[in-house]
Amino acid sequence: MNVTQHPDTAWLLDYATGALSRNFELVLGAHLMACAHCRTELRAAERLGAALMMAGSAERPQLAPQRVLEAEASPSPWVNARALSAGDTDALDLQTVVSQYLDCGLGALPWRSAGRGLQIARLRSEEEERLWLVKAAPGTVLPRHSHTGSELTLVLKGAFFSGQTIYSAGDIEDANECVDHQPVVTRESECLCLAVTEGPLRFRSWLPRIAQSYLGI
Amino acid sequence: MLTQLMTDAITPPLETAAVVPFPAEATRLAEVEPTVRETELLLKIRDARDRGAFADLFGRFAPKIKGYLQRTGLNAEDAENILQDIMIAVWNKARLFDPLRASARTWIYSLARNRLIDMKRAEQREYAALERYAGETAGDAVYEEDLLARAMGQNSVALLALIPPEQARVLLMAYVEGKSHREIARELNLPIGTVKSRARLAFQRVRGILEKNA
Repeated sequence: MNVTQHPDTAWLLDYATGALSRNFELVLGAHLMACAHCRTELRAAERLGAALMMAGSAERPQLAPQRVLEAEASPSPWVNARALSAGDTDALDLQTVVSQYLDCGLGALPWRSAGRGLQIARLRSEEEERLWLVKAAPGTVLPRHSHTGSELTLVLKGAFFSGQTIYSAGDIEDANECVDHQPVVTRESECLCLAVTEGPLRFRSWLPRIAQSYLGI
Repeated sequence: MLTQLMTDAITPPLETAAVVPFPAEATRLAEVEPTVRETELLLKIRDARDRGAFADLFGRFAPKIKGYLQRTGLNAEDAENILQDIMIAVWNKARLFDPLRASARTWIYSLARNRLIDMKRAEQREYAALERYAGETAGDAVYEEDLLARAMGQNSVALLALIPPEQARVLLMAYVEGKSHREIARELNLPIGTVKSRARLAFQRVRGILEKNA
């Protein structure tokens, strides 16, 4: 898989230190699955965490190693729940992503029309954060918008242009309040994206603003 | 070979010449041998369920992990409980360790980090990170070195003394206080872009040093 567009290093540090919310972690985790470059970055960030842990001051534990050895085998679900350095298939198999992160197939999702050629399904809504699947027909021009917080968009299938850059499967568009963009889906195929947003979007024109409250975007 | 690595580690690359000279303590960061030894121990645990190797590894890691947990804001009792979970996982999940992917210390760090995330999410409780550095949060205020030394230990200071203090602060807030880059921007009242570029620069510099020691 030829991934060319990566999230900023700051996101990988957040991933390494465990500072991310579930939704942002999910989108970055899917990108990491596809992207060897970011996995290398993440491992370096984890190595730094380990170095700081070991260089830091120590506290004498009460626990003795014998007690650990005598302990019942524990299931420790948290060990496997988060990838110990995300999986490395170097591919973004749509089925894997969907089955790993969603409880149902794509068809069963609560899709809503958000304008011509555009369908969105809200997967999660937690405080200010929203996790979306966005499906757009070939050639769809999305409404121009900016953000009130961070937005990470992972392409699962197809491709879109944003500014001068083309984003295709596995790529992440890393946007925030400084970015005002109008994604345009390429003509070749339908585009499917997983997106996480923080805070409501800001639209330039009035029509999407009316739809905004109905769609909750 | 080892000597060569150590020499590399204490010779600042050209572009760092203008920054703080490498302090003497930094030689201790060239912990090539301990790292290799840790990985050997973890492999003995993985492959032979070697109890002696576990006791040795425990002695090397448990106090450091407990210190790390307490720095992130846990009290001694919670840190002790979480430490126990982590050490049990080291013993029980050693079969998942792959030395080609990570050294023992990176693997154990990621276990500790995962346990912390799990705890934060399970309890949905804002546990207050120790905001030792948040006192003077105005813009570019510089860390006082002895404050840092007390909080982090002298060796960390040596590592972080290689980068400009405003970059070191971003790394500390990320790795010690567990804050995201957005939270750091908010707390320091800096634009997101500034925090991102400081994080990136700091990370590039420090990782270069670590990779020489890897």
